[in-house]
Amino acid sequence: MREYAFYLGCIAPNRYPGSESASYKTAERLGIKLLDLQGASCCPAPGAFGSIDLNIWYAMAARNLCLAEQMGKDIALICNGCYKSIWEVNHKLKHNDELRDGVNEVLKEIDMEYKGSIDVWHLAELFYDPEIVGVDKIRESVTVPLTGARIAVHYGCHLMKPQKERHFGTTEHPTWIEEMVAALGATPVEYRNKMLCCGAGGGVRGYDLVHSLDITNEKMINLMEVGVDALTEVCPFCQLQFDRGQIEMQEKFGVRYDLPVLHYCELLGLAQGMSPQELALDLHAISCEPFLEKVL
Amino acid sequence: MARTKGYPEELDKKLRDTRLYSDEQNPEFTKTVEKISMTIPHMCFQCGTCTASCPSAPRSSYRIRKFVRRALLGLEEEALNDPDLWLCTTCYSCTDRCPRDIAPTDVIMAMRNLAFKNDIVPVNFLKTVQAIYTTGHGVPNNDVNRAARQKLGLPADPPTTHGFPDYVKGIQKIIDHYELKKNADRIIKEREG
Repeated sequence: MREYAFYLGCIAPNRYPGSESASYKTAERLGIKLLDLQGASCCPAPGAFGSIDLNIWYAMAARNLCLAEQMGKDIALICNGCYKSIWEVNHKLKHNDELRDGVNEVLKEIDMEYKGSIDVWHLAELFYDPEIVGVDKIRESVTVPLTGARIAVHYGCHLMKPQKERHFGTTEHPTWIEEMVAALGATPVEYRNKMLCCGAGGGVRGYDLVHSLDITNEKMINLMEVGVDALTEVCPFCQLQFDRGQIEMQEKFGVRYDLPVLHYCELLGLAQGMSPQELALDLHAISCEPFLEKVL
Repeated sequence: MARTKGYPEELDKKLRDTRLYSDEQNPEFTKTVEKISMTIPHMCFQCGTCTASCPSAPRSSYRIRKFVRRALLGLEEEALNDPDLWLCTTCYSCTDRCPRDIAPTDVIMAMRNLAFKNDIVPVNFLKTVQAIYTTGHGVPNNDVNRAARQKLGLPADPPTTHGFPDYVKGIQKIIDHYELKKNADRIIKEREG
């Protein structure tokens, strides 16, 4: 069993705890043990915090990295925003001595030192990697296939972009998460402008909610065009924007979609036989019932 | 170009004026932006691929191409005072498509950093800082969620700074090192009284 320090972030544990719970259980069935990363904080939010002062963003993310270094474990996480902070700061500090020295100068005040001894992974990429889990193993772990469900994927931005710094290849039309959706027995559905941002990032959700929802609305229109039973993603912040955003769009624009939005770990949990109660799906702003009736 | 935000008249006039005034150019600004952003806006040939890829462009007057131009020309005041600076969702589509290998998104991030040094920053950004300073989390836990977590067999508070609040001190020390909390509190007080 491979072991990783599980970096939780904010929105998963504090708004969608079902994703957290599902991560532990689904990963364990696939041979990955997620260990508590005690004392971790907000990554901190790359948009809201990085916009103010990147140096503090580096130092704060480095503190989280140090906690995992002390455990001697690589980090696994389930949020694209966290990936941006934790993965990217790790990458930058490993390759930029000046930056690393600056950060360590500050970390000294709290008796910590960034060493650059670990790597950071998104749980989804660990699931997809055939050397760690792979699509075949995911398929074998399914006990309740989501047959008949049409599911669209929202990749989000900060996992794969900017592509030159990352290792996922093209960001124009990826299909690897669709492969993982198909492995659950569901039908992955393509839709127009799939790689469009959810609209929440960069602090825009807080700065100008209507503007940010207008982007989400464009995505929703494109999704409705092809007809889907659920939307899946690998980022709780995108999840929040699509899920709670639908209530907000109803208030602001008078449009109603009722499209269930599930984190991939929640979807995988359902397919591995976890009950909706075990996934706290009732905490979602948009009811998952119509989708559940179709697949369970 | 229609502006919808009701900017102050003087700023609106300034942003509509397309002429270049040499006394408004600050070459240091170009250098500072390049240093913070670790990218190369001076390589921009203004093709506009960035704006065409931008999710914010079709629904506002925000033009990422213009900001890269401002970086190149050293138009510091115009760049930092334009409220559109805060409409970038940092999706990095422009960065992935730029034929000159510039990261326009990081140009925006650098400009936002410089704007903050001049106290130009929307309050929501500072409130995130305050939340992180107090709890370690930008989106803190609440009672409804605590109850739901317990039902799932998870601890009411996750094993983060919530479950181990002693770790918050370290976070506060880092933020205080940069006097960020002090400045955030001051700016919020000035804006909201």
